[in-house]
Amino acid sequence: MATIQHYELIEQLENRIERHLEEAIHSLQNLPEKVLLQPAPNGGWSIAQCLEHLNTYGDYYLPQIKSGLENAQKSSPSTPFQSSWLGAYFIKMMEPETGKKKYKAFKGHIPAPDLDAYATVARFIQQQEELLSYVKQAKSVNLNNIRIPISITRLIRLKLGDVFQFIIAHDERHLQQAFRHFSTSR
Amino acid sequence: MPDLSPGLATLKTVIDAASPLTNDSWEAFSAIWRPFSAKRKEILTVAGERERYLYFALEGVQRIYYFDDQSREATLVFTYAPSFGGVIDALMLSSPSRYFYETLTPSVFLRASITDLQPLIETRPDVANLIRLGVTSALSGVLERLVELQTFSAEDRFKQLLRRSPHILQLVPHKYLANYLGIDATNFSKFINRMKI
Repeated sequence: MATIQHYELIEQLENRIERHLEEAIHSLQNLPEKVLLQPAPNGGWSIAQCLEHLNTYGDYYLPQIKSGLENAQKSSPSTPFQSSWLGAYFIKMMEPETGKKKYKAFKGHIPAPDLDAYATVARFIQQQEELLSYVKQAKSVNLNNIRIPISITRLIRLKLGDVFQFIIAHDERHLQQAFRHFSTSR
Repeated sequence: MPDLSPGLATLKTVIDAASPLTNDSWEAFSAIWRPFSAKRKEILTVAGERERYLYFALEGVQRIYYFDDQSREATLVFTYAPSFGGVIDALMLSSPSRYFYETLTPSVFLRASITDLQPLIETRPDVANLIRLGVTSALSGVLERLVELQTFSAEDRFKQLLRRSPHILQLVPHKYLANYLGIDATNFSKFINRMKI
């Protein structure tokens, strides 16, 4: 697996979360309720459902990351990060650029259609801010050493550096889905 | 060393409109500012600590807020370019800040250390006058806001915010705006949903 400098990875993660936040703040939070709840033209998820799907992952991963960081030893941030084989595989599968295949949502992550649209957007923004704060905290830890159990099976634990990249790729995937829908619904 | 001049030119425009300095004072005053930037959600001043800087925002939105051990939170002031920022009362009184100052978007500033500013206030009447004017305008703003909080309906407070800062809905997560206006999130959403976009 390729390695990446610690500071470079942190910078990339921060910049991507920043873009996701800008998209949500600039447009999604200001949309009328009707647009947020409208199903996609192909019968797929509404914008609010896309965000709610991401929120269910945040509900699982954010507390895991928090406790991972709390129990971590402060380390010199100079250790380069190297994805595990499995971590790289999951990230590649999730990145919209490299993973074109559609996947079915796992049980517990299928969003209801009758959402409180604005509360869902607000929760998404809140979770992105929380994720950003953990990436900032991760500046002083070794991203190779902290391991986080993944949501589909606690038996698999991925490196924090991979978990961050996986979550952000997943966010990107469904934000793109939400915006595709948004551009066709007006 | 980044080029300071465009930022200083903005600072000078703001000062000239408020209370111009003599050339001599401007030379001394402009020499104390240093460039500073911060990403989103960076805390610049921590409650309980001294405020060491006067900020001048060139880009981005920031807020001063109260937050206590019972998780009670109050967004008191937003600052954005081109305007002064920082916890001014703590700065001027050299007392621990009761509030936090944080960026809400990536931000660029000039900032001056109080240890550089204080001697200028003490030796130059025009600098002292400028600072007095700045602090007084800030007080005016706070009093005006108190009137709105105590007499305006939630909807009128919302409208007033948009009149004053038309772009703020696209720049800041709504929870901070609702908190600033003293409106709960559900009511704030109703106002958003009623707006024509």
